[in-house]
Amino acid sequence: MTIIEILLRLHQNSYYFFAIILFIIGFHTMLTHNNLIKKIIGMNIMDTAIFLFFVAIGYIRGGRAPILEPGADHLYVNPLPSALILTGIVVAVSITAYALSLIVKIYQHYGTIDAEEIMRLRGGETL
Amino acid sequence: MSAATHLPALVIVVPLFFAYLMPLFARWREGWSTVTALGVLAFSFAGSLVMAWQVMAYGPFSYQMGNWPPPWGIELYIDYLAVFAALTMTGVGLIILVYASKDLPHELKPHLLGWYYTLYLLLMASMVGMALTNDIFNLFVFVEICAIAACGIISIKGSGECLEAAFKYLVLSALGSGCLLLAIALIYMVTGHLNFTFIAQALPEAMRLYPNNILAALALLLVGIGVKAALFPLHVWLPDAHSSAPSPSSAVLSGLVIKIYAVALLRLLYQVFPASLFEVTPVMTILLWMSTLAIVVGSMFAIVQEDIKKMLAYSSVAQIGYVFLGFALLDVSALMGGILHIFNHAMMKAMLFLAAGAFIYSTGVRKLSDLVGIGRTMPIPTIAFTIGAMAMVGIPLTNGFISKWYLVLGAIHGEQPFFAGVILLSSLLNGIYYLPIVVNAFFSEPHGAVAEPKRLPPQMQVPLAVLGFACLLFGVAPSLIMGLVSRASQALFGL
Amino acid sequence: MGMATSFLPVWIVMFPMVMTLVIFYVEHHSEKMRNALAVATSVVTFLSVLVLYPYIMAGSIIEYNMFQLLPNLGISFRVDILGFSLALLSSFVWMLVTIYSIDYMCKEHGCNRYYPVLIFTLASCMGIFMAGDLFTLFVFFELMSLISYVLVVHEESVEALRAGYKYLIMTIIGGLALFFGIIITFELAGSVSLGGPALITETSSLAFFAFISFLIGFGMKAGMFPLHVWLPDAHPVAPSPASALLSGIMLKTGAYGLLRVIFHVFGLELMQQSGWMVILAAVAIITILLGSAVAITQDDLKRRLAYSSVGQMGYILLGMSIMTERALIGDIFHIFSHALMKSTLFLAAGAIILKTGKRSIRELGGIGRQMPFTMTGFTLAALAMIGIPPFNGFLSKWTLSLGALDAGLPFYVLLLLFSSLLSGLYYLPIIIAAFFGPELGAEHEYVKINEAPYKMLIPIAILAVTSLLFGLLPINLPFDLSRMAAKYLLKGDF
Repeated sequence: MTIIEILLRLHQNSYYFFAIILFIIGFHTMLTHNNLIKKIIGMNIMDTAIFLFFVAIGYIRGGRAPILEPGADHLYVNPLPSALILTGIVVAVSITAYALSLIVKIYQHYGTIDAEEIMRLRGGETL
Repeated sequence: MSAATHLPALVIVVPLFFAYLMPLFARWREGWSTVTALGVLAFSFAGSLVMAWQVMAYGPFSYQMGNWPPPWGIELYIDYLAVFAALTMTGVGLIILVYASKDLPHELKPHLLGWYYTLYLLLMASMVGMALTNDIFNLFVFVEICAIAACGIISIKGSGECLEAAFKYLVLSALGSGCLLLAIALIYMVTGHLNFTFIAQALPEAMRLYPNNILAALALLLVGIGVKAALFPLHVWLPDAHSSAPSPSSAVLSGLVIKIYAVALLRLLYQVFPASLFEVTPVMTILLWMSTLAIVVGSMFAIVQEDIKKMLAYSSVAQIGYVFLGFALLDVSALMGGILHIFNHAMMKAMLFLAAGAFIYSTGVRKLSDLVGIGRTMPIPTIAFTIGAMAMVGIPLTNGFISKWYLVLGAIHGEQPFFAGVILLSSLLNGIYYLPIVVNAFFSEPHGAVAEPKRLPPQMQVPLAVLGFACLLFGVAPSLIMGLVSRASQALFGL
Repeated sequence: MGMATSFLPVWIVMFPMVMTLVIFYVEHHSEKMRNALAVATSVVTFLSVLVLYPYIMAGSIIEYNMFQLLPNLGISFRVDILGFSLALLSSFVWMLVTIYSIDYMCKEHGCNRYYPVLIFTLASCMGIFMAGDLFTLFVFFELMSLISYVLVVHEESVEALRAGYKYLIMTIIGGLALFFGIIITFELAGSVSLGGPALITETSSLAFFAFISFLIGFGMKAGMFPLHVWLPDAHPVAPSPASALLSGIMLKTGAYGLLRVIFHVFGLELMQQSGWMVILAAVAIITILLGSAVAITQDDLKRRLAYSSVGQMGYILLGMSIMTERALIGDIFHIFSHALMKSTLFLAAGAIILKTGKRSIRELGGIGRQMPFTMTGFTLAALAMIGIPPFNGFLSKWTLSLGALDAGLPFYVLLLLFSSLLSGLYYLPIIIAAFFGPELGAEHEYVKINEAPYKMLIPIAILAVTSLLFGLLPINLPFDLSRMAAKYLLKGDF
């Protein structure tokens, strides 16, 4: 496929494309950054990316908001993904809350929120 | 009669409901929370037994939540595998909870017992839900509940290392959940369904049109569930998490939690994705090699450990490899071995962790080199540990032998004798790190705290005895559970 | 043959197992009760096996299915002439060793562990010899190996624990090899029963793997090179009565297993066709030479006896590989003879070590003059080992040689002669030094050493006399049993 065709495809599926990029950014942040808070932020970015992906799935070009009008026959946007991401957002929020409370307690114990520093303090082994 | 028809939902909902009531009970009267928690789990176990009987007698059935038919409503599909997993989770969970009721006041701060029961009941409910559900997004929700509850029962102990271990588990678990959710999105995108049965019907067509989506979803599923099930090389969170947690938590985590994800993956791979997919992609080969590495590397790391719970944790890494090996060999006997190993290992590992917990409770000693001679002062936990060790090595007349038998038979039958050799090698490695502990426990002189242990309360001795007896019982009469297992694996193979 | 006789194998195995628990319970109350119960159990077991004699001699096979574990796999018992012979032999020796143990162990620690384990190992041995399928054999084999670990590490000294660890690891390796062999057999044949035609009917790489696995699994127990490395450490560190049993009987279970595998799993024709026996023959030759040669260099009495066991088991393995009728008769008869001879030797050695506290051969000069009965027993058994007529050792080597000539392998006769010479080289010096040598003592003082007590002497005497009897007399029960067993195996009609 030529460059023009690739760019055209990307433009058509731009939502998915950016969602994946955000997902990778979030994934990368979670794994590589040492600061614990940044890991949680990475997790949120990753989850948000997935929600964007979901919403983009639901979008139908030319569709209206999915509120039924009796008797009228319109094209509606798919309401299911929105419901799914509502659940997902709740899950992400609860995990974030739990993780942040864990970070507070870790800070109380170790005095730092740097992951490598904590590993060093623990004298722990990796793998 | 109406209660019985709603049994599948009740088995999940009742623990959820009482989970929220637990802190209230704990506030009013300490004893009530324990009794209620045990009663609720006993109810779940009894419900699973009733469902198992119904499935064995009449065949699989499905239950629609709120009477909304699929694909619009959430469906619970109670088949052989589901009921097997539910039985394992609730049965072993109940035994561990009996143990926990006496061990936890010793390990946690006093007012936290009610909260522990909350997390435990949430965990149980979510695991049973994962076993029974037929909807992929419902699976995701239960996976998330399980993740938080599992991290919760680690971090509730409050010590520095368990907080850090819980955080690592949480981060990696969230990573896995993210991958899982993205996989769900990709599957929904091309099939438009969330119900397993409907997805399975729609996938062959979708594979023709959008193969890359499905492949990406498969890869993400493998990574996501692999992280949660601690399959090598995604197991890095496990040793710290399982060794620093309180002993009943370690038992639940090692014995039950990592297994339920394997059950979920099994369902997805065998029932949702079409078989033609496996001819195109080397998914099973990848799983085969990951599990082989898990078995070998896990055992090798276990050999060098000094702390008893860390050694048991690495042993779990190796054992989950057996389960995945059973899935990946693509042979009915191997699959039976893998599924049976879920049940057997749950019992064995729970017993081992509870015995280790008993040692720590009575003597405070965790280092293996300090545990010498403990067989003479604490015979019952040590005998339980010995039975567990024998079962891990695969001595005949224990249940570990039966699952090994099926796995090796499956490997030879599937014309891959190399993996039979791997399983036998791992038995030897298991012997190398378990048997010296047993030998040292009985044939050396105890000294220090080991020589005068604190008395072990009966609530902690009885679960050990029950699990030990069960290991021997299912080693001598495996037909009790094999009927369910063989029908489950045959159903998965579509026979 | 009614229900009662069919149940007898189960009784023979279960009775000692149950008595183990009884002894375990009783020993906290009274030591005398414990000893008496142990002896009584072994006597009752021996008599129970003897009860089977008329039925077996009439040619019937006693079978009993106990329960099923998995489809086509379960615990079953099957007593034919071979199993019966070996069960009779083992229970006889066990009985004598238990009587011997009473006086030997009276000053040792850990007796409360020793007696139950002794009786339980008896039960597992009976289970091995009366097993009706490979799986039952495997279960009892593992049980026996694991429980006898307790006997090996009885002293709890550093060397005992180290020897025990080596023993344990090799037992597990052997067990895994057996497991592999049994599974391949199950896969190829659909069942692992010993009562039926040969299980594996064609050579294939999988069948070859099974053969090698069985060879490793049973050979490890039988002290086959190169898996014998646990033997010279484990047999000496155990208490002498346990060493007698380990060397005398438990090694033979490995040989028994190999016999069953060759004849029941693969069948005579397949073995002759495939030519795999050459591996067994090669290994057996190395074992004979190695065992005999290294024994000469050992100074510790029990270690010398242990290496001698390695060499003698080599004869048994060699006889199996020849597969003619007379070789097989000699083979099975040698199982009998060696069991009797080696037990005598170890029991006598135990008496000497108990009374003098010395284990080194250099220091045992003149002991024959102070412990004449013990040393006479030792001498009789040693002469039998070397193969001097009219002892039973000579008879078995003679029959083996005839069998080798039958198969057209005169080289083996030379080998047998040469190794007998080597045996002479390591046994005769002990005897000569004991009877005719000067006494070695630190102060060159005359230290009065009493003869061993009666309960130890009588078993030694009985066993030593059998070595003489079963070579001399025309009525030779073990030889008859060996002849019938060999004919039975070669007929191949199970």
